[in-house]
Amino acid sequence: MWIVDKYIDYVKEQTQKNPEQSFDKILLGFKANKLRTKVLPKGGLARGYQKLEAMMMSLVADSLGKPDSYVWGNIFAPCELMQCFGLSTLSVECLACYLSGYHLEDYFIDYAQSTGIAPTLCSYHKTFVGAIDSGVVPVPRYAVTTSLSCDGNLNTFRYLEKKKGVPFTFLDVPYEDDDASVAYLADQLRDFTGELERRFGKKFDVEKLRRSLEIENETRKLLIEFFHLQSERYYPGELISHLYLMMGMHLMIGTPEFLELVRFLVEDIKKCPPFEGKKILWVHLLPFYQESLQHYFNENDKYQIIASDIILDSVEMLDEREPFTALAKKIIRNMYNGSYAHKAEIVSALAESLHPDAVIQFCHWGCKQSAGGSLILKEEMQKKDIPMLILDGDGIDKRNSHDGQIKTRLEAFLEMLDTLEKDEERSQQGREEKVC
Amino acid sequence: MLGYICKYAPVEIFESMGETVKRIEPQVTNFTQADMRMHPNICSFAKGALEEVMQPGSDYDGIILTTCCDSIRRLYDVLKAEFPDKFIYMLDTPRITKEAGIALYERRIREMIRAYEKHTGKTFDEEAFAELLRERDEKEQLAVSSGRLNIGILGARANEEIRRILESQGAGVAFDLTCTGLGRKLLYEPEAVMTGYVRGLLSQFPCMRMEQASGRDELIRRYADSVDGIIYHTVQFCDNYAYEYAWLKNWMKKPMLLLETDYTKQSEGQILTRIQAFLESLDPKQDKLIKQEKTKRQTKGTEKMYVMGIDSGSTSTNAVIMNEKKEIVAFSVVRTGAKAGESAAKALEEVLSKAGIKKEDLALIVSTGYGRVSISFADENVTEISCHGKGAHYFNPNIRTILDIGGQDSKAIHLNEEGEVKDFVMNDKCAAGTGRFLEMIARTLEIDIAELGAIALTSTEKIEITSMCSVFAESEVISLIANNKEKADIADGVCHAIAGKAYSLLRRVGLEPDFMMTGGVAKNPGVVRAVEEKIGAKLYICPEPEIVGATGAAIYALEKARG
Repeated sequence: MWIVDKYIDYVKEQTQKNPEQSFDKILLGFKANKLRTKVLPKGGLARGYQKLEAMMMSLVADSLGKPDSYVWGNIFAPCELMQCFGLSTLSVECLACYLSGYHLEDYFIDYAQSTGIAPTLCSYHKTFVGAIDSGVVPVPRYAVTTSLSCDGNLNTFRYLEKKKGVPFTFLDVPYEDDDASVAYLADQLRDFTGELERRFGKKFDVEKLRRSLEIENETRKLLIEFFHLQSERYYPGELISHLYLMMGMHLMIGTPEFLELVRFLVEDIKKCPPFEGKKILWVHLLPFYQESLQHYFNENDKYQIIASDIILDSVEMLDEREPFTALAKKIIRNMYNGSYAHKAEIVSALAESLHPDAVIQFCHWGCKQSAGGSLILKEEMQKKDIPMLILDGDGIDKRNSHDGQIKTRLEAFLEMLDTLEKDEERSQQGREEKVC
Repeated sequence: MLGYICKYAPVEIFESMGETVKRIEPQVTNFTQADMRMHPNICSFAKGALEEVMQPGSDYDGIILTTCCDSIRRLYDVLKAEFPDKFIYMLDTPRITKEAGIALYERRIREMIRAYEKHTGKTFDEEAFAELLRERDEKEQLAVSSGRLNIGILGARANEEIRRILESQGAGVAFDLTCTGLGRKLLYEPEAVMTGYVRGLLSQFPCMRMEQASGRDELIRRYADSVDGIIYHTVQFCDNYAYEYAWLKNWMKKPMLLLETDYTKQSEGQILTRIQAFLESLDPKQDKLIKQEKTKRQTKGTEKMYVMGIDSGSTSTNAVIMNEKKEIVAFSVVRTGAKAGESAAKALEEVLSKAGIKKEDLALIVSTGYGRVSISFADENVTEISCHGKGAHYFNPNIRTILDIGGQDSKAIHLNEEGEVKDFVMNDKCAAGTGRFLEMIARTLEIDIAELGAIALTSTEKIEITSMCSVFAESEVISLIANNKEKADIADGVCHAIAGKAYSLLRRVGLEPDFMMTGGVAKNPGVVRAVEEKIGAKLYICPEPEIVGATGAAIYALEKARG
């Protein structure tokens, strides 16, 4: 892939020299990669994950190619509403990740920090702010963000509204889960729909939304089935495959294409051999670039990430008869909302249902809402006798994550799991001998 | 007693029920509990609040938290788990202040009252509450006085320390728009007491978590007009206010200091230096110099005069003696030992001997640098930032931007044509980007620190040190050594890493040429070359870059002695 690397270096260099004239080159690379994922998918990767990568690449390349076709959002923004207007949603997190494909995250982060943005802010937000503020990435007509799940959302969008003139809707997600909260958020969602009507000159069709929610319910059911199958069968993926799946579940949920994709995952994995290695339940973001983690979790039949909370952060079945109420409930009951005990409960339920051998939580630099509760989750997992490892690092900025330190922790943890297994086998043997 | 942290907390409700309510203002020395129960990267205020509540003898019966930010949400989770029997309450506070937000907040507050009644057996009496509201007056928010520097405080919650330092330096706080500085806004509506009260709470000067915070600009503009300068305060690991600082920098005409604190007592020295330097830059005619109540030793009737500037840094202590013609008569550079005062005495002795004069011949001594307050023989002290400005202007009046990389900190200073400080930024929180970092790497590479730069110049392969943290970077260097990389190439990579850090500091003050580099690291040709590559311009370096601060201090002394 010498040409690809050369092109990445060329784009990085050009972007730093002429920030405002490099977007065409960035876009060209995305389009070429879209084609590559379709005609030359990564060998060794399960077919479903190949298709998933192609679909997500298309979402980004196609949207960015047509500035009027998308709005900015965060991953918790209700993409179902945008779909009713034929709009796609590109989130802060996903754009930051794709731009890091050109190894531009350091340039954008430094740019944002040099303007005064806090170095301790989440690197996804810093990359995004730097990319926009430096003039590299053009802006869309509109944006939407929820207050869930972090403080960065409102502040990032407000900052870019002031600096770049991108108006946005802010959806305030209450902490409490009750009818008053649901009504409060449902009203905001209705108002937001009215705003989209005005801004994009299209009539809202509630039937479209209902259909979308039906598809969403079906997709979620299939995804849960896929997670179960992934805990039983070897389905070669990469760290980034889980991020793609998270992207799909947040930015394309409710579309027939994504439903078909998840259906394909379920059918395809059924043909795969049983998985006999260690099953990992991953909590929070995945640093897809980290070499040691790639070594252990990219297409490795000994260790498999069977599910992640960021993919299935909401387990709510949606009542399409009351679509706004249903969407409000989905957002309020999201595991990232409310107390950490609420999150620990949902992760525990996931663990009980999937029986992982271990849980790994990745504490992403700057993500206070996640890191701050990591010890509570660990205690909860200890009660269930599930070993848990907390890794500190950065989901996107390589300079904040030291591979050697992550490697040592991870390998020690995996060695510990092997020892636990041997102990378990020995005591099992002992019990059997006694019975004999 | 109940503790609370947020201005949106309905403290008057509890007061009307006879409860003592106290705003939590952590004064801690460490984050031991927080590091064990939360995570090191949580906002320092939240960590400080946890330490405060958990310390032995703490007499909080309960804590009222609001859903104000991510760190506080996690603080609630930890407190709730630690103190199941106390009244630890999370009050869901809307970010929207329109009617829907008011209605929801009123409902949440009523639920909280019921929970509190159940917990304590006390009863809330709406009439007593109304009575309390009727009696309360709002505080005046603006207090500008003539004859002093008037400073406004903006940004995240600021502890008393900033106000205290300002006052000790002869400046006054004209306004404090942080959430801890504002007087409460109480609305009393006889027809609907609770609704009116909630409306009042939500219509306070909005903090950054609120949807309508975009309206802050206009209020800030109005307030800012009345002061000489603004301190924009942020708390470490609280990122919300940095956005506003970045935005205000675009249009705010008033001088503004970005001041980050971490709510520990240890950071007081760093806060003092920044505030002092800021006040000096606002009042460059230096009539606000801090006197240490010493008698000025003027030479009687003769024109001949000697003054001294002494810069007590972490690595070296530098002294400069200047005569009445503003000529440097002698200077000395000695290694700072374990005690700043002893090193200063040594530097004094050395420089006096070089100049061939006695201490009594010195009309005035001005100290600067990190250890400036520990030099007992100095008459006055000025921060190293102002002194570097003066010194740089003395050596080359075309200098507008200074990069100073010292042993334990690095700073970028922007000067005007008079050599007065217009803006500055400092990094004294992490070792990366400082002389200490270079020393550490030189040790790892087993080369002398003095050789590191020269070796870097012979590099043939480009190596990038990507880690931002000095500990990570050292590990990275160790890995490179293990991979048999050449010392010269590693050294060059390290110089570029330092240059990268320096560049981000320089950008923050504006990158106006000409540039000068000062401090011990300016003697390192590898770093100098790397910085020059980054900024695309030459750096002016005077023959003795370590004495620029001491020279500036000597000029201050001379100006002062002349009266």
